Amino acid sequence: MNLTVALARLLIFPGILFAVPAAWFFLWVERKSVALMQERIGPPFMQPFFDFVKLLGKTTPVRNGPGGLLMQAWPLVAVSAAAGAVGLLPVLPSSGGFEGDLILLLALLEIPSICIIAAGFSSRSLFAEIGSAREAVLSVSYNVVFLLAILSIAASQHTFRLEALAQLPVSPLRYLGILAIVVCLPAKLHINPFSLPNAEQEIYSGPLTEYAGAELAMWELSHGLEWVASAGLVATLAIPHFASWSVDVLVFVAVSFGIVLLLSVLAAATARLAIDTTVRFYWQCTLIFACLIMVLTISSTLFTRVQS
Amino acid sequence: MSYKMPMGPYHPALEEPYKLDMICEGETVQDAKLHIGFNFRGIEHLAETRNYIQVVALMERVCGICSNIHTLTLCQAMEQLTGLTPPPRALYIRVVMAELERLHSHVLWAGIAAKLMGFKTMFMECFAIREKVMDVLQAISGNRVNYSMNRIGGVNRDIADPLAVLGMVEQLEREMVSTIIPIFTTSTTARSRCAGIGVLTHEKAVSCGVVGPTARASGVPQDLRRAAPYAAYSELEFKTPVEEAGDVRARLLVRALEIMETCGILRQALAKMPSGPIDTGEAKVVFSAGTAVSRVEAPRGEVMYSVSWKENSRNPARVHVRTPTFANMPAIRYMVMGARLADTPLIQASIDPCYSCTDR
Repeated sequence: MNLTVALARLLIFPGILFAVPAAWFFLWVERKSVALMQERIGPPFMQPFFDFVKLLGKTTPVRNGPGGLLMQAWPLVAVSAAAGAVGLLPVLPSSGGFEGDLILLLALLEIPSICIIAAGFSSRSLFAEIGSAREAVLSVSYNVVFLLAILSIAASQHTFRLEALAQLPVSPLRYLGILAIVVCLPAKLHINPFSLPNAEQEIYSGPLTEYAGAELAMWELSHGLEWVASAGLVATLAIPHFASWSVDVLVFVAVSFGIVLLLSVLAAATARLAIDTTVRFYWQCTLIFACLIMVLTISSTLFTRVQS
Repeated sequence: MSYKMPMGPYHPALEEPYKLDMICEGETVQDAKLHIGFNFRGIEHLAETRNYIQVVALMERVCGICSNIHTLTLCQAMEQLTGLTPPPRALYIRVVMAELERLHSHVLWAGIAAKLMGFKTMFMECFAIREKVMDVLQAISGNRVNYSMNRIGGVNRDIADPLAVLGMVEQLEREMVSTIIPIFTTSTTARSRCAGIGVLTHEKAVSCGVVGPTARASGVPQDLRRAAPYAAYSELEFKTPVEEAGDVRARLLVRALEIMETCGILRQALAKMPSGPIDTGEAKVVFSAGTAVSRVEAPRGEVMYSVSWKENSRNPARVHVRTPTFANMPAIRYMVMGARLADTPLIQASIDPCYSCTDR
């Protein structure tokens, strides 16, 4: 992947120029669909954009010292990482990429979560610190399943290159991996039943309690970009490339939209779980998923030997 | 290392201003202290400056949810002092109003509990149904919050067509059976948030003197409608749901079962409503000096009014109100000790607190 292609992917498509409006759109889809399921009217189409602009115009309280600087830095790092993750998605065929970009994508997807944890502790609010501790525990729990899923997909198809994965036919193990990723997404996106770090009835906004104005706008944007990156990752892994670029883009958006809707339905239909139940759930998922991988791998090996 | 975690006086989990200071170790609550008094309005003193007609309207404002219960209890106490006995039809109308109020209070509580579990869809569903209960209350009384139904010696408005109201109640019952009750009794996530948390043992419930659904969920079969019947309850058949577990799920189940019993009581009261006048028709009432006490089973538990009158006075000498929350709130400390921090909003809400009424 040369520099021009890399910049085009990061800045134009599927990067910032596409991803930022898509983030606002997905945030709107989530809020609107939940509202409709709750027999409410819900926000107008432009509301996430209006929220962003309004927050940008608010004055942010001055915080002196390294703590204040860190609090300003974390949302910017989170937005950059989430935008970078979207930029790495192989939406278009033959769009570049490099061996190991899957690992980079995983790292970039994890950075916003680390930033949220750090931001909560930097703000030195009691509620933020509890939220950060919850985010850390949640992250340790779901990431085992998430990484296992990604690694099993990559290992089964012998590549850590996203574009190669997107072009290969989908195997049963890959479907299983995609299912495991989808199970992790509600925790990654802090929606019900795993909306623990920002459980407003318990700890206000959790790690973001002390944030306001432009910094909060950046967190909102980062959250939207995480939606695009997470839904987009599932879309690129689940649907193989077509011959036409335009069809690929449309399918990518449609499948991402479907995943956002699916997650919104789940969020609307469930109560928030407690932290120990959540941890138990993800460790059980890890065990079940690991067993299934083992069974699938052994059976496919036996099947290959019998055939040969 | 333990730390102090304040919840309130202004907090997204709280409907009204009060404060719960918790000493936590990690996510576990070690101890808690409740502070109230943020909404003191001096209503008991104001009551001493109002005459016997004005005081009914004043005491209706003690609570925004069980407003009817407060006037019912006050009127019953004042009727003891005046020697008036309301006619049978008025007693049945009082039952209908009290049970409709219980219905909307329990549904409102279910909504609040759902919100505290992070189950906002259920919250919306509950409040949509509560609106319909309030529509029925409006159809009867013309009001949605302060119904102005009770007066000394009867009620202010008649239920002209009880069968029409019966149809509305049956529709409500169908909706509750198909939505709220199954979700609260069978939903896995709701069950995981409620079962085994905020346990108040039978012994502790008795020693704390808790009342209402909180007591009944800890195996204390206490219900004033049965133990000391008032209005027309002695002529109606109903069960008192009791659960033994003492946890939040038990409190939820008791209220869910009470919703069903309430619908049954409403059906009976509307079908059996006798004809006749709705008040005694006395133009002027005369109070004898003394103190009268009245107790009523409000949606949250026992409400007690102690009303004192002096000779030849138009105003009460003293009106003392004891709300169910006053009896239930000491138990919160024992419920939250050892609980997860995430469960404390739900646990403290499980007694269906109304601290503004308690502050008066």
